[in-house]
Amino acid sequence: MSEALTGSPVNPDAAVSVRGLRKVFGKFAAVDGIDFDVRRGEVFGFLGPNGSGKTTTIRMLTSSITPTSGTISVLGEDAVKHPDRAKLRLGYMSQKFSLFEDLTVDENLRFYGGVYDLTAEQFAERRAYVLRMAGLEGRESELTRNLSVGWRQRLALGTATLHSPEIVFLDEPTSGVDPTARRRFWDLLYDLASNGVTLFVTTHYMDEAANCSRLAFMYRGRIIADGPPREIRESLLTERILDVSTGDADRSLTWLESADGVHEAYLSGASVHAVVEAGLSPETLTARLVAAGFADARVVPVDPTLEDVFVNLVSQQRGA
Amino acid sequence: MSLKRIRLVMWKEFLQLRRDPLLLRAMFLMPILQLVFFGYVVAADVKNISIAVIDLDHSVASRQLEAEFASSDYFVITQHPATEAELQPLMDKGAVKAALVIPDGTSAALTRGEAAPIGVVVDGSESSSASIASGYAAQIVGEFNQRQIAASGMTIAAPGIDARIRVVFNPTLESINSMIPGLIAALLMISFGALMSQAVVKERESGTLEQMFVTPIKRNEYLIGKLTPYVVLAIAQVAVVAIIGMLWFKVPFYGSWWVVAVGLGLFLLTSVGLGLLISLVSHTRQQAQQTVMFLMIPQMVLSGFIFPVESMPAWIAPIANVIPLTHALVVLRGAFVKGSGFAALATPLWILAAFAVVIFGAAVVQMQRRLAE
Repeated sequence: MSEALTGSPVNPDAAVSVRGLRKVFGKFAAVDGIDFDVRRGEVFGFLGPNGSGKTTTIRMLTSSITPTSGTISVLGEDAVKHPDRAKLRLGYMSQKFSLFEDLTVDENLRFYGGVYDLTAEQFAERRAYVLRMAGLEGRESELTRNLSVGWRQRLALGTATLHSPEIVFLDEPTSGVDPTARRRFWDLLYDLASNGVTLFVTTHYMDEAANCSRLAFMYRGRIIADGPPREIRESLLTERILDVSTGDADRSLTWLESADGVHEAYLSGASVHAVVEAGLSPETLTARLVAAGFADARVVPVDPTLEDVFVNLVSQQRGA
Repeated sequence: MSLKRIRLVMWKEFLQLRRDPLLLRAMFLMPILQLVFFGYVVAADVKNISIAVIDLDHSVASRQLEAEFASSDYFVITQHPATEAELQPLMDKGAVKAALVIPDGTSAALTRGEAAPIGVVVDGSESSSASIASGYAAQIVGEFNQRQIAASGMTIAAPGIDARIRVVFNPTLESINSMIPGLIAALLMISFGALMSQAVVKERESGTLEQMFVTPIKRNEYLIGKLTPYVVLAIAQVAVVAIIGMLWFKVPFYGSWWVVAVGLGLFLLTSVGLGLLISLVSHTRQQAQQTVMFLMIPQMVLSGFIFPVESMPAWIAPIANVIPLTHALVVLRGAFVKGSGFAALATPLWILAAFAVVIFGAAVVQMQRRLAE
């Protein structure tokens, strides 16, 4: 995990390798000393609540801002000393689907094709691929402003990968997109990954996090956990998660928050999830709930979801 | 720097501008409306007109006449050139707006009971203040005559002083002749403030700026590619206003196009720089628009574009001097109406150059800084 990397040199074979990365705005440390490696071909999920430093980190990795301190290697190039070297080999897509809205589909593609200096043959081939992939064949001369969100998102991905980059950074690429379009978008990402492209994705959708081959949780400028999704879930083995349903979720939440042996309680759907010490059995808790006046209380153990893990990690940080 | 990437940024900027509904309105429709509107405006009251007195008579009567001018609210005597030849450079620079010339022998003529001609020379390049100044001068001379007659006990028919008013530079005192050169500069400022201020903030809002800086496009390539289309449009707009002004409103042009080009070039850098600064500092397009409005109105009012600076309270004058438009107006009106050259307009041109360096420089520095965060 990240502690092992601290102080070690960057790994030039990794797709991304970061050591002691910091970015300070005024007195506020948006990114406060992080270390991680992203292996080539990995789908790396970068998670964290809004304002935790995810976007700032991505912007440093893509060399659009310079770090206050620390070293970054992207595709073996030093992104701080030689910000331009990796630029031709990486792609970037933000949550805004940054297309020129007052240009047509084709004009957007031609602009980026020119910026990346593609030859006429390369461009013709990539253009055809992107149009097919985004489902925009025959709509080349429409203004992108008039496309609906799902199409714009796919076109933005196509534009960001027009130059066949080896790594693509995606900053909340699916925010504001309906679940069907999100599903379709992830299929496209898997296609890219299966061609050996490394993906660095930030998201706050926990179901999407499960799609990643490795995850890092960022909170208040630091990485508080990283590893494959399964490993992260298992890191909670000293505790267990119980799903508590009563007639009155709000009142049971209040009671659970101050109950002995309960570390954490939070609403999850219509019921309450309680993180309890491993020794507290569902039967014991049910009995105590009934005694406290929750006559129809039902308690069942559940497998921790990534969301459970995340809430738990954040609450540990707050307590620390 | 890659020319290819600069051309790409220019190409996409032209495409975007072509589809921008604001463009046609701000760049070409508004100027034509303003031309018609301001073309017929007559200006307000003028006070404290700086005047030179050339007293060649050195008599009691000449000093009395000078005292009449000095005691009126309308004139402030700032210069006493010894000869008429020294007057021309003062007028060229705009140091004085009018001059009173009392020829040798005025007193003697008055004593003989003859008409004594004196000269009142008025700078017509600011036609509204000029016509008012000549009116005041005639009035003061009239009162002077009345008093002379009363004192000498002569009849009403006595001729007294005959004020010969000569307006230099804009003999017919047509306000349009000074309004249109001024309008060229003012419109450049307004339409550029409106367009430029939106330019970068729009791309930041939509995220395209962020996207471009992840690509191999460098900041200076972006800046050059972004600004060039606007400069081309600015030149087109100046040409449209100048052509309509000269063909439709028959505004004469006495000066050198080089002076106009240098003056407008410097002023353009200032305007583009200011627009860019607003665009970089603003977080939303609306905020940028409000900042532009907030800055434009005082500039229009205080620069002497509509009301002569002379008609404003004395404490306003220093404020007028820190407005670039004030100096651009002096250059354009000087070149159009007076035919002034580089020598006569050196001061306002240097001031404009200083503004251009400071404001455009600040915009470039801000560009590097803001976009790095």
